[in-house]
Amino acid sequence: MTSWRITTAAVLVTALTVTACSTGGPLDPNAPVTLTVAIDPGLEQGAIDAFNARVAEFEKANANIDIRPQEYKWDATTFTAQLAGGTLPAVFTVPFTDGRGLIERRQITDISDLVEHLPYAKGFNESVAKAGQAQDGKMWAVPISAYGQALHYNRTLFTQAGLDPDRPPTSWAEVRSAAKQIAERTGQAGYAQMTTNNTGGWLLTTLDYAFGGRTEKIEGDTAKSTLNTPEMRQVLQTIRDMRWTDNSMGANFLYDWAGINQDFAAGRIGMYVSGGGNYGSLKAQNALKPADYGITTLPLAGTDRAGVLGGGTLAVVRAKVDDPIKAAAVKWIDFYYLSKLTEQDAAVADAKTTAETGQAVGAPELPVFDRSLHDQRMQWISQYVNVPTAQMKPYTDRMFAQPLVPEPTRSTQQVYALLDPVVQAVLTDRGADSSALLAAAETQAQTLLDRK
Amino acid sequence: MRGGGLSALLFLMPMLVVFTVFSWIPIGQTVLMSLQQTNLVTDPVFVGFDNFRTVLKDPLLWTAVRNTLWFAFLALIIGYPAPLVLAVLMNEVRKLRGLYSALAYLPVVVPPVVAVLLWKFFYDAGPHGMFNTVLGWFGFEPVSWLQDASIAMVSLVVEATWAAAGGTVIIYLAALTRVPPELYEAAELDGASVWRKVWHVTLPQLRGVLLITFILQIVGTAQVFLEPFLFTGGGPANQTTTILLLIYNYAFATSLGGDYGAATALSLMLAVVLAVLSALYFRLTRSWSTS
Amino acid sequence: MSDRGVLSSYDRKRPGVRRGLRVVNGALLAVLFTAGLGPVLWLAKAAVTPTQDTLRTPLALWPNGFDFANLATAWTRVEIDKYFLNTVLLAAGAWLVQLLVAMTAGFALSVLRPRYRKIVTAVVLATLFVPSVVLLVPLYLTITDLSLINSFWAVWLPAGANAFNILLVQRFLDGLPREVFEAARVDGAGPLRLFWSIVLPMSRPILGVVSVFAVIASWKDFLWPMLVLPDPSVQPLSVRLPALQRFVELDVFLAALAISTLIPVVLFLIFQRLFLNGGALGGAVKG
Repeated sequence: MTSWRITTAAVLVTALTVTACSTGGPLDPNAPVTLTVAIDPGLEQGAIDAFNARVAEFEKANANIDIRPQEYKWDATTFTAQLAGGTLPAVFTVPFTDGRGLIERRQITDISDLVEHLPYAKGFNESVAKAGQAQDGKMWAVPISAYGQALHYNRTLFTQAGLDPDRPPTSWAEVRSAAKQIAERTGQAGYAQMTTNNTGGWLLTTLDYAFGGRTEKIEGDTAKSTLNTPEMRQVLQTIRDMRWTDNSMGANFLYDWAGINQDFAAGRIGMYVSGGGNYGSLKAQNALKPADYGITTLPLAGTDRAGVLGGGTLAVVRAKVDDPIKAAAVKWIDFYYLSKLTEQDAAVADAKTTAETGQAVGAPELPVFDRSLHDQRMQWISQYVNVPTAQMKPYTDRMFAQPLVPEPTRSTQQVYALLDPVVQAVLTDRGADSSALLAAAETQAQTLLDRK
Repeated sequence: MRGGGLSALLFLMPMLVVFTVFSWIPIGQTVLMSLQQTNLVTDPVFVGFDNFRTVLKDPLLWTAVRNTLWFAFLALIIGYPAPLVLAVLMNEVRKLRGLYSALAYLPVVVPPVVAVLLWKFFYDAGPHGMFNTVLGWFGFEPVSWLQDASIAMVSLVVEATWAAAGGTVIIYLAALTRVPPELYEAAELDGASVWRKVWHVTLPQLRGVLLITFILQIVGTAQVFLEPFLFTGGGPANQTTTILLLIYNYAFATSLGGDYGAATALSLMLAVVLAVLSALYFRLTRSWSTS
Repeated sequence: MSDRGVLSSYDRKRPGVRRGLRVVNGALLAVLFTAGLGPVLWLAKAAVTPTQDTLRTPLALWPNGFDFANLATAWTRVEIDKYFLNTVLLAAGAWLVQLLVAMTAGFALSVLRPRYRKIVTAVVLATLFVPSVVLLVPLYLTITDLSLINSFWAVWLPAGANAFNILLVQRFLDGLPREVFEAARVDGAGPLRLFWSIVLPMSRPILGVVSVFAVIASWKDFLWPMLVLPDPSVQPLSVRLPALQRFVELDVFLAALAISTLIPVVLFLIFQRLFLNGGALGGAVKG
């Protein structure tokens, strides 16, 4: 493998004099470092300004570090190519879903030695911390936010359909009847669901949990795929009823995360399920009208096992970076992602800049650290909160009362990918046999789980 | 002036470098990688024909093959005759020919990605979608252009035809001007009708071009990527997943570590089929252009 | 060019044929207008229409007035100019590299004719039978190894490895009278003079053909630049637009599409003849 690569490089270097530059030398804490960091793509100017203001602050405090923002957002269709190509920013974010795999494959840098010296290193919420830890408990990836799935709804469409926007659905039967009413009276999709780029599997798993199911069963070292279960069949039946009996799911069945956000913000969707903290990106990327927005807890079936799928975001450092960059990267993670969760000054400063540039402050989220710190932080920033908190009460009042269930752990994204066509088939083919589809997906998923 | 020696070698240098690095080595590398398991992080391991076996056992492969054949077939019945009919008709136009050609060619000028994104909007499945609005005028129900497994592929082919037909029309128009007028005159002496002239003179005279566009179309459709990737992402339920999309998915889209072995194995298998077609095409262009 | 088609001048005088021809012409024009110009005109309309009107009544003409701000927003927020410039730079570089490689190689193989010419030609031509798909993964890894990701060279250099261009140039040069080269040689012209002052000027027709191929191919390329140019600031329009679709409101997005279309359409209208002739050639040999 390497020999041909050397030839390749040699040929090119001699013929075209492509110069390769290498960094190295002794570790000097004041040596200039250039650090590429992730910034969400497609932001409104205000959000970009807020980001740049934070960058300027950071560079002032760390004169030797030059921050270069690079547009990046985790996306199932391009992430692997970027990972393989080494084109990710030095600091980037991934969903909890991917943390374990990246650590096991050593595809990110081990920053645990630096992370453990952060003042709040011991304070992470236990289950949240797990998402970023290797088998031996070392924190390779730092959790920066956590969410539980929630039901987002359009208050304006609710009103137009004659529904009370202050009393959103609390059961799937109510979701179904509300969706039907919205579709009939407004002509828009009553309820819509993501189906592409692995989000179909993510959502099916979410609903499976909400109905009391689980998609994998871990016993010791072996994992058993449990996709073809009564709960999952019930989920598909519910979707099928809304789609084919009520015709309340609109006309687009190929949504991914960004696509459904956009249609929701454009007022074309009555309700959909996505992470509880979505308000910020709906506002910054899709120009959502705040008055339209409503959010409530995900309706759970009445069994003990029913729970809300929870996840979150990890900040990680690209593989193969040298020590100065690694140090700068952890500083940035501390400064940009975490200090605003743990320190009053930083929290206030962040909230102030964010609010001044017209971006959302105070959207609901789950605590990365403990509950009391979370509540305290909410107090610190209370004067800058600019989101319609009253419209979020149906969610914020009850979000802590719901049992949170983490995502499946084995080959998670691949199993999600297997479920995408299942939900697509149910939504686009009236005669789709959901049992057969689930059985086939389960067999393939088991192959994936056995591979390890 | 034989020999050339050093100067010939110098002149060959750019080509040798570029081909070595970006063609010859990668071709060898494809063969090598198809026999290996590699994730670019750990060292590659030779696994014999395992990758080929994995690919052949993947139920998605046969879906992709079927979809690609279906796309090729639809492109043949929708996309193949359309430019020919247009060209033959346009060739009879005497006034404003430039306008006709320009109009036919305009879609080719629209950047392909823009065309797909625009048509994606046209294909909106709601009753207010562009095409559905038109159908509504005639009292038809809205159609789920891209969201219905049975017609999603047809929608893709219609857009692809729209985007490409203009180029083919121009080729046919050029070929039509090379049909010797004497042949028509001879047919007229025999009292041939318009239709008979088209059938017995025009089409046989275009035979060479028709065969070439036919093979080009097959080779092209076997590698279709843009339309399924941007329109549907292979959905609904993998009904528009084509072979190239599958290769892309093997290599780049499955989150966490692409399966480069499977991707290169499938590439090789596709290459063998396409190489046969290209060889055929090459022979034909040679005989056609020298005749 | 022949001055007649299927119909003879006698046919054209027959009343039945004339009437039929008129109907066919009318229908043809209507079809070409709707299919060829229709979508482009619609896009122009949608570019200055508010989102909700486009969504609710896509075919109505400005039921609630114009929204010219879309165009400005598209230009500033989507930064069309930057991506268009990238598109042009990518095409220009790919074109230059292809010309350089094809002309020098063609010249060496056809005019200088080294002893090993047959072998080299065979090895180059063999790659014609390898579809580009096959190279996708290893070529990507090569680019990664050379650290050319996010560099225009990642698109320019592989474009040069095009056996078809070399074949075309070689065949063209083979057709030139060799006496000219011999005469130049006798006058004391070295290979470089011969290349620059004699062969290049004589190769204008084939340079045109290769250029048209190069520009059209670069114009249409999507997958390759998407893979090797993940950084948005170096992406061409074709790669950037699909990504933006998710973040930009529909009316602004359609305005961005309209601007992206306008530039090539204007170029097409100006250089129509070149496009149509080149298109005929391009399609005939390459598709």
